[in-house]
Parts: sequence; structure tokens; C-alpha cells
Amino acid sequence: MSGTTVPAGRPVAGAALLEVRDLAKTFRRGARTVAAIDRFSLTVGEGEFVAIVGPSGCGKSTFLHILGGFEAHDGGSMLLNGEPIAGTGPDRGMLFQEFALYPWRSVIGNVAWALEVQGRPKAERIAIAERYLRLVGLSAFRDAYPAELSGGMKQRVALARVLAFEPRILLMDEPFGALDAQTRELMQEELNAIWQQTRNTVLFVTHDIDEAIYLADRVIVFTARPGRLKDEIAIDLDRPRRIDVKKSAAYMSYRNRVWDSLRAEVLKAREEFQ
Amino acid sequence: MTAAPYSRARRAALGLALPVAALAAWEISARFGTVPDYLIAPSLILATTWEMAVSGELWRHAADSLLRALGGYAIGAAAGVAMGLLAGIARPVERFYDPIVSLTYPVPKIVVLPILVAWLGAGDWSKIAVVTAAVFYPTFINSLYGAKGVNRLYVWSARNMGAGPLQVFWKVILPASLPQVLTGLRIALALAFIVAVAAELQFSRSGLGHLIGAAEDSLRFDLMYAAIVAIALIGFAGDRLLVALRRRALAGQALGKEGAHG
Repeated sequence: MSGTTVPAGRPVAGAALLEVRDLAKTFRRGARTVAAIDRFSLTVGEGEFVAIVGPSGCGKSTFLHILGGFEAHDGGSMLLNGEPIAGTGPDRGMLFQEFALYPWRSVIGNVAWALEVQGRPKAERIAIAERYLRLVGLSAFRDAYPAELSGGMKQRVALARVLAFEPRILLMDEPFGALDAQTRELMQEELNAIWQQTRNTVLFVTHDIDEAIYLADRVIVFTARPGRLKDEIAIDLDRPRRIDVKKSAAYMSYRNRVWDSLRAEVLKAREEFQ
Repeated sequence: MTAAPYSRARRAALGLALPVAALAAWEISARFGTVPDYLIAPSLILATTWEMAVSGELWRHAADSLLRALGGYAIGAAAGVAMGLLAGIARPVERFYDPIVSLTYPVPKIVVLPILVAWLGAGDWSKIAVVTAAVFYPTFINSLYGAKGVNRLYVWSARNMGAGPLQVFWKVILPASLPQVLTGLRIALALAFIVAVAAELQFSRSGLGHLIGAAEDSLRFDLMYAAIVAIALIGFAGDRLLVALRRRALAGQALGKEGAHG
């Protein structure tokens, strides 16, 4: 095996922002229970970009839903900035694969509504919404409706909306999973450029190894169900990262390293579905 | 070559083709005596309608019918939409209503009219009550499924922004269910007129339904048709009004369905 393995729970560069300890989750399917996540621990530092890869059905999306407060968990603890996580809240900004834009609101209306919910005055929320639309390059579409936008544009609006209320951490649940391959590549570049400016703390769930390595400071590999920590790989590629980095030898070696770790799990997950 | 889009006028002409042809055929056969007496000529019906409109008689009856239909519609629709939305977001409320609604929905509400008349008298209130009962069902059922079908992520997304239960209800559940709520309101409006007229046919001394019944009894078929024309016109105007309201209310939501962008 090539690349560097980092022991779980290693001290991270910035101060620890998110600390998950021994998280467990089981689903009830009629009479039997299915373990979805098994004693999973993770620490994410302030300003760190962490990607989670794993076979489908491994519980990585469930993990984000638990962090977001949308699903209950059955054991373990979660701290954000030292405080226990309870329920839903705007300190954890969620980005969904299906965008979740409100079709009855215009682009600016969608972005500004997040701020309206939080009781910000009207002039302020329009100004903030316009600033974030500029950041994602959609100022020209401020008065369009979501139905008039392409998939990539919709996800950029959703990104502007979640950035606008300034969460402590961004939880991204396969945000580019619904996009075609070419749009996906462009969105990765764009997110990379935006992150370079905003430096948000990000937890990014994907099944795409390239996406994970290109974007993240650290890649977490989940096992097949029940989801457990399989591997943790620090990605020491220079920032700002240009798209050319995907052609470098270092990148290819990370790619092989992650795939070697993931492959056995994908095969295991496939067996279970057959 | 792409098909030339229908112009407004051509589309309107297409919708009018059948009624106009039928009316023309009717008029011609009525004049040449090839149809029974009760199918009197449309021109004669129009003349009678006009006469009654001028004398004020038609307006009086129409106003009575409108009061009953719209009174019942307002009460029944308000209850149906409110309860339906509530049942759509709260399972216990749905479980509470489910057996009652399934059991009583197929019963024509007009059959309870004699009971309502005994209870509320033969005046406006018994008719308003029967219209209320009839209107409740389509508004309740459509609102229920509208609210139940709201994309879970719309709600999650709102809660993620920090929205409370009231904000989620008014700003997410309500607009997201609106297309189906409006469908229920449209079905219910036609039903309100149908049930109001049917009730007037049975127990009433005024209203367009009463006018039809009385005209039939005295073989004044021109009067009967005049009342039917008035009902059709009122129903048509109400329906157009709702469709226009719907178009305004669903500005953004309707876009995707018309394929605004590829």
C-alpha cells in the first residue's frame, strides 16, 4: 500500500470544531434491527475539508442526517464547538443532492428566505443574498425561478443559500450526485474555488473518489454496512488546487490508495444486495 | 418544420366549435318543428332569459342561489382545507378523520337534506348546511394529499435554516400543497352549485333550482331553460375566476410543468 495512513482521532491542524465519539445507529425493519452505523468516531478541525467515501448503503448519508438533527441516533456523542448537538439548527448548514430549492420562490427569494427565517431586516438580507449569488456566479439569474435553471445552477443557488446564513460547518450530502459527469467536474472546480475564498469547515459525503481527493484535506473511508471507520487518508496536495492536479503522480497514488481501501467494501456491499 | 403555435383566437374557436354547431342545429330543427315541444328554440330561451333579467326576477333567484352555494362553499372549504392540511402533517388527526371520511364520502349529501330541513327549517340555512357538507370532502381530501406529498427535503431545509413549526407550516407546507389545495377548491366550487340547485329543487320557494322546478310543473320550458342558462353562466364565471387565481398563485411552480427551459 502506498500513501500515508493516519491513525483515527489524530490531532487535527485547527482547533477541533466537530467531535463525534462512538456514534451508533440502528434501523428497525419489521421485527429485526439493522445496524447502520457502528461506533464511528471523527474529529474535524476548524477550516478543515473532510470527505467521506463509502459503498452505497453504508450509512454515510445517515451520518450527515444525524449530524443535521434530522434523524435520531442510538448511542455515542456529538459536540460542535464543545456544545452537544441537539435537534436541527442553522449552525450546521445542509446541502442536499436534490437541491431542495423552493419552486415558488425566485433565486434571490430562496437565498434571502434563509435569512428571513432568522429575523434579519429586509435590506440586509437582500444585500447578503446578492453577495452570495455573486460568489456562485448567478447574479444575472436573481429573479429566475428554479424551474428555469439547469441542475448545476440549481445546486449553486442551494450553495449560496446555505453559505448565506453562515453556518459553523457545512454538511454536503452527495451534492453533485444528481448532475451529469461534465457538469460535475465543473462544479468540483467551482466549489474548490469558492472554498478557497470562504474557508468553511466542510464535511462532504460522496461515492466519487476523485471528487473526494480533489476537494478534501482528509478522506475518510466507511466500511460496508454497518458503517464503521475503515481508513483515514490525509491528502497533502498543495492549495489552491488547480484541476491539473488530477494528472499528477501524487494524486494517482492517493487515488490507488483510497480505491484499494474501498474496493473490498464495495464488493461486500454488492454481495449483500444480491 | 415546427408546428405553428395556435393563436389565441384559433384556440378559442376550437373550444366554441361544438357548442355553436349544436346550438345552430337545435335552432334550425326547433323552427322547422322536427323536435318535441320541450326543446324550444335557443333564440326563444335567450329572449325569455333577457326578459327575466330586465324584470329583475332572474337576479333575485340567482342571488338567493349564490348566497346558499357560496355561503356553504366558504364554510365547507375553510373547514376542509384547514382540517385536510392538519391531517396531512399530523398522523393522529389523519387517523381520526380517515374512517369517518371513507364511510360518509360516497353518500350523496343531498339525502340528508330532509333531516337538515327538519332541524334548520326550509330557509337558507338548511341549503347552506348541505352545501357545506358536500364541499368539505373534495377540499379535505385534496388538501390532505397535498400536505402529505410535500417533499421531505423542503421541510428539512427549512428546519436547517432555523425555521420553527409555524414558519414551516405557513411558508413551506402551505405553498407546497397549494396546487392540490386549489384543485380541491375548483372541484368543490362546481359541486357547491350542483348541490345548492338540487336542494332548491326539493325544498325551496326561491332560487334558480326552485325556478326550474316550478317552470317544469307549469310546462314553462322557456323559463326552465333560462334558469339553466343562468346556472351555467354563474358556474362558468366562478370557474374562470378560480383558474385565473390559480395562475397568479402558482407563478413559479407552474413553470417547470410547461417545460420553460431544457
